[in-house]
Amino acid sequence: MDLTTSPEQDEIISSSAAFLRDRLPITRIRALFDESSNVDDAAWSGAAELGWFVLGLPEANGGVGFGLADEVHLFREIGRGLATGPFLSTVLAARVAAFGGHAALAEAIGGGQRVGIVIPGSSTLIGADGSLTGPLQLLDCEADGLALAVSPEQAVLVRVSDLTGVTPVACIDPGVRLCRADASGVAPIARVTADVDPVQRRGHVLAAAMLVGINEAVRDLSAEHAKSRVQFDKPIGVNQAIKHPCADMAVRAQLGYAQSIFAAVANDEGREDADYHAISAHLAAGEYADLSAAATVQIMGGMGFTFEHDAHLYCKRAFVLGQLFGGTSTQLGRLLDLPSAR
Amino acid sequence: MDLAFSKEDNDFREEVRTWMTENAPRERRPRDLVAMREFDLAWQRKQYAAGWAGIGWPEQFGGRELPLTQQLIWYEEYARTSLPPIDARFVGLAHAGPTLMVRATPEHQAFHLPKILAGEVVWCQGFSEPEAGSDLASLKTKAIVDGDHLVVTGQKIWTSFGPVADYQELLVRTDFDVPKHKGITWVICDMKSPGIEARAIKTIEGGQEFAEVFYDEVRIPISNVVGGINNGWSVAMSTLSFERGTAFTVSQVQLSTSVERLIEMAKSRKSVNGRPVIEDEALAKKLARARADVAALRSLTYLNISRNARADQPGPEGSMLKLQDADLTKRVFKLALEVLGTRSLANPHEEDDSYWVDRHLLSYSSSIGGGTSEIQRNIIAERVLGLPR
Ligand SMILES: Cc1cc2nc3c(=O)[nH]c(=O)nc-3n(C[C@H](O)[C@H](O)[C@H](O)COP(=O)(O)OP(=O)(O)OC[C@H]3O[C@@H](n4cnc5c(N)ncnc54)[C@H](O)[C@@H]3O)c2cc1C
Repeated sequence: MDLTTSPEQDEIISSSAAFLRDRLPITRIRALFDESSNVDDAAWSGAAELGWFVLGLPEANGGVGFGLADEVHLFREIGRGLATGPFLSTVLAARVAAFGGHAALAEAIGGGQRVGIVIPGSSTLIGADGSLTGPLQLLDCEADGLALAVSPEQAVLVRVSDLTGVTPVACIDPGVRLCRADASGVAPIARVTADVDPVQRRGHVLAAAMLVGINEAVRDLSAEHAKSRVQFDKPIGVNQAIKHPCADMAVRAQLGYAQSIFAAVANDEGREDADYHAISAHLAAGEYADLSAAATVQIMGGMGFTFEHDAHLYCKRAFVLGQLFGGTSTQLGRLLDLPSAR
Repeated sequence: MDLAFSKEDNDFREEVRTWMTENAPRERRPRDLVAMREFDLAWQRKQYAAGWAGIGWPEQFGGRELPLTQQLIWYEEYARTSLPPIDARFVGLAHAGPTLMVRATPEHQAFHLPKILAGEVVWCQGFSEPEAGSDLASLKTKAIVDGDHLVVTGQKIWTSFGPVADYQELLVRTDFDVPKHKGITWVICDMKSPGIEARAIKTIEGGQEFAEVFYDEVRIPISNVVGGINNGWSVAMSTLSFERGTAFTVSQVQLSTSVERLIEMAKSRKSVNGRPVIEDEALAKKLARARADVAALRSLTYLNISRNARADQPGPEGSMLKLQDADLTKRVFKLALEVLGTRSLANPHEEDDSYWVDRHLLSYSSSIGGGTSEIQRNIIAERVLGLPR
């Protein structure tokens, strides 16, 4: 047993962090806020060239052949950097295409074709044949592009142009583009069942990784502010009311990270309790990021309530990531229904 | 002890309710700051015309001087509207106005108080600075005496309604060589004075009412100083004795209404699994818990008001109301997002469920504005329990 990072993983971490810092800094969220697209085409192509969208795809399918545990490190950086664009759904979509027998589409996605994700509503259904029905929401989808819809049993890709009433609505997160839409028996262009590739499980783990990155980012912001902000002639961090919430953030960040990599390795090793750990990772990291981001706003004081400061962006992104794959309440229900972990 | 209001109070409630139903603005409060100012002032003018302005203000200053129970009733009825607990009228009516009543000259009182009551002016509060927030007394905006004027240079921040205010209660440092509480002066600042620039700061829910205000050798007549040079700290604190426990009534009644609406929504809406939201047991219990907590908060308001009606000076217990109001506001509107489920992804200002997302984002400020919750806890621990500082 060893949960420390390998030299390859360290390389993923440092190169992805550097890429995100240079090409997709957080300031871009505000810069692109009034634009219809939140994606920087050049940066997206750059990420494709680095192999980000097929990192975990087997070499036989045209991928880099790394494991989910390696992808976790990439997505932790994407989360930390609040990078805009449908990274998570694009990576999952490449798998649906590859394992669904659409090699050319998988290659196109790996090469930079973006895929957004469907957020199901209370009556959205993916039928046994993979057809999509019901009112739904779309995250980071493009009108002429594809959308990924996922359930615990299967994952499908549909054309956004096959949906009706696609209407943009502003999202609570200024870094995400949201649409309302309707589907009535929309046939998928690619489909894969969970026994062939557990797409939702991988989604849980990668969402968890992004939430870990968020938790780590706000922990660092808070600790830095606690050390440098002086009130009553002392850094505010001397007060336990500030010091202790910072310590809690550190603990939560470690817990979320540990569970995310455990879940990823459990998946890579084919353990039978991999779903259990994947859902636990998403739930735990989600709750932790949420608490830490809210505490960060508080530690920042008045500044934390401004649009210009990043604190609220972490809160909002953590909230959006928590809504993926059924949302917290559904995930809690599923976790309870699973057999106990090994 | 009893909970029954007198016949007089009940009649009063009836009167207020009827008036509110007929007169409270029904249009949506605009988001544009200038339009918002006009909306809030028009509402004040309407109250003024009907004799409802300054219900807690002494009669000598044109107020109604209503007994505390009737003020409570007024706020409870006010809270049935969906008007926000705090708006552009707040500083004038609840802070600067009361300060002028106890500390200003008759001339200032005669000039300013009627304008505040009549809804002619907006006041803002220029206390916080970039380096002086919780530690307000460390403020550095400098005022130099030059003949019969103060010349003010420096910066304020988080000034709510700063860009649309007519006057400001401004704290400046007039002496840098004495302990920090002793070199502060409270002065009335005309926001149209040359050398003032107010820049809007956008908030996390897209609001525009925050501002930073810059002062570049702004000349303010010394006659605008209230309470004397270097006495500003005690002047700034004088409103503490004015606040009698009703400050959070509107917020608290609206919280209770919100919890009831959320329970209704949880019963009528379905979650992603197709079942009614209320069947999520964990969520249902949180809603029940919220009911208990809003009940307790309301009871505390009643208790405080009962005590304050008998006491000369309100105690530090007011901090408890503020603290719990902040915590509960954050909790209830977070719960709202859970009830809404994925519908809460949509932006605050464009959707039918907007109210909830908007209130959730606003709730982040409830534990920061007006003194943070950490500072309230310090006050409670030190002044109520006598813990060492
Ligand atoms: C919605 C809103 C409206 C406002 N309107 C106005 C206005 O109109 N006019 C005005 O002058 N100001 C206004 N303010 C400013 C407000 O009063 C300050 O934000 C507040 O006092 C905190 O100061 P700060 O932002 O500098 O935070 P800081 O004082 O820097 O505090 C940062 C963090 O440190 C904590 N902290 C600081 N000291 C201690 C301590 N001794 N013990 C424990 N914890 C501590 C704080 O609780 C906070 O979590 C407003 C603020 C908000 C959010």
